[in-house]
Amino acid sequence: MSALPTPPDRTSDAAMTRRSFLRGTAAFGGLTALAASLAPLRELGDFTSTEEFLQKYYKEMTPSDMAKVIARIEREVQHQYGIRPHVRDLKPMDGVEFVYCLNLTRCIGCRKCVHACVAENNQSRNPEIQYIRVLKMPHGSMDVEKGDHHYDVKQVPEKGFFYMPVQCQQCANPPCVKVCPVNATWQEKDGITVIDYDWCIGCRYCEAACPYFARRFNFAKPEIPKDRLNPDMAYLGNRPRKVGVMEKCHFCIQRTRAGKYPACLEVCPVGARKFGNILDPESEVSHILREKRVFIQLKEELGTSPRFYYYFDK
Amino acid sequence: MDPRPTRPENGKETSANYWLGGLTLVFFGLAGIFLAGARSPAPVRAEIPLVDPKFLDTTPWRQTYADLVKAKEDLSDYDCYACHDKGKSPPIRFDDKGKIVIPKEHSNIVMGHGSHDRNDLCYNCHNEQNLETLQVRDGRQVKFDNIPLLCGSCHGPTLRDWDIGAHGRTNGFWDRNLGEAQRLSCANCHDPHAPRIPTREPAPGPHTLHETPSATAKPGH
Repeated sequence: MSALPTPPDRTSDAAMTRRSFLRGTAAFGGLTALAASLAPLRELGDFTSTEEFLQKYYKEMTPSDMAKVIARIEREVQHQYGIRPHVRDLKPMDGVEFVYCLNLTRCIGCRKCVHACVAENNQSRNPEIQYIRVLKMPHGSMDVEKGDHHYDVKQVPEKGFFYMPVQCQQCANPPCVKVCPVNATWQEKDGITVIDYDWCIGCRYCEAACPYFARRFNFAKPEIPKDRLNPDMAYLGNRPRKVGVMEKCHFCIQRTRAGKYPACLEVCPVGARKFGNILDPESEVSHILREKRVFIQLKEELGTSPRFYYYFDK
Repeated sequence: MDPRPTRPENGKETSANYWLGGLTLVFFGLAGIFLAGARSPAPVRAEIPLVDPKFLDTTPWRQTYADLVKAKEDLSDYDCYACHDKGKSPPIRFDDKGKIVIPKEHSNIVMGHGSHDRNDLCYNCHNEQNLETLQVRDGRQVKFDNIPLLCGSCHGPTLRDWDIGAHGRTNGFWDRNLGEAQRLSCANCHDPHAPRIPTREPAPGPHTLHETPSATAKPGH
């Protein structure tokens, strides 16, 4: 059949030439426009790899799945920052429930905790993401609406004010966890509410639900100078985030689940910050909650039951 | 052979071709605009200077005698009998208002322990019999590297809190099975002669996300 010469169909032939040319040009133009309109996506940089796209939910991952994920993260961090990080997936310790106590009598509002936290947890420097807000509060009020976190003075503390650092309160009844539509954030058994940055869809419901202004959203690609990257990382902790996901204080999971104190506590020059295991009756925090006459859960009336207590001396 | 039963008239076809050609040009134009947009640099954000590393420093404010011994540093400040005579307690002088006069050899000392000059006698803490030790008021002698005992003789509740770790700084490991904790002593934070924590410069405050370069000088909200 193919050997038979087909009679030339002049009409269709002529129409094909002109039409197919015009159609082809139009289709080409359309496709180019489509491709070009998608081009800005490339500018996002870390375009989700197939591996990351197919990654399982954190709680469903087997140890070998996790090993692969950690290898991918280490590879990506090295590619982006030129530093080989040490990423771990630290699990909650048995018989440990973390509690944070902050002495409002001692805090001088120096904001060192804010920046130690940024450095430890690889937070974006520009746009700026900070987990801790230090509120300058007028004497005689615990109303956070009266607090000012932009105070710009030569010397602290100032007369007539006290300073109240606010960060994630690690609630025992966390509203942020309840609103997450994809279960990308949950409470672990040591009391830390964590986020799986690879599972978060960036809807920011949790940010709206949090009464403590503790959650931060990556509106733009995080910027961390290479020489300030902390290579000691945890999957649920301080590994670099990407644009479009939430993050927040996680009690320095990469430190505290390895037995160390959080970074904000270590840098505090006045020893206002206390951290430990509330299930251990000998710990500092147990002593404080047992012996101090007044301690406060911020916005106690909301029923969130924070694991972050503010207390006073004398 | 032709699947289309009717063909449009010649005039209609020409106008359709003009439309298609025009649309093609529009698409190319749009493609050009998109490409230009994709290539253009990211929107300019106000510069945020990196924080001074001094604000990330975890070393204590002060060094105690014990720290100096450990670091094998200059201890000449503690060599009292280089100037004083042994067995002769140095006299304390007061001005006509009853305020203690600090001799010029000790001019680095600012007396400010307790309000209303309540604790302005050197020998409340220093041992006049042996200047190289300190003394509790009940007569017990205390070495320079064991000052919590001395301070706690007046500041009982603070010593109680310090003992358990509720007062003062502790760095290192909260889980003592996994590592050591570094406890700081009284004089690591407090100047014994003026123990109130001095005021200091705060680290820079937060910058808002939508700050424009002109607004960096004064954040609005």
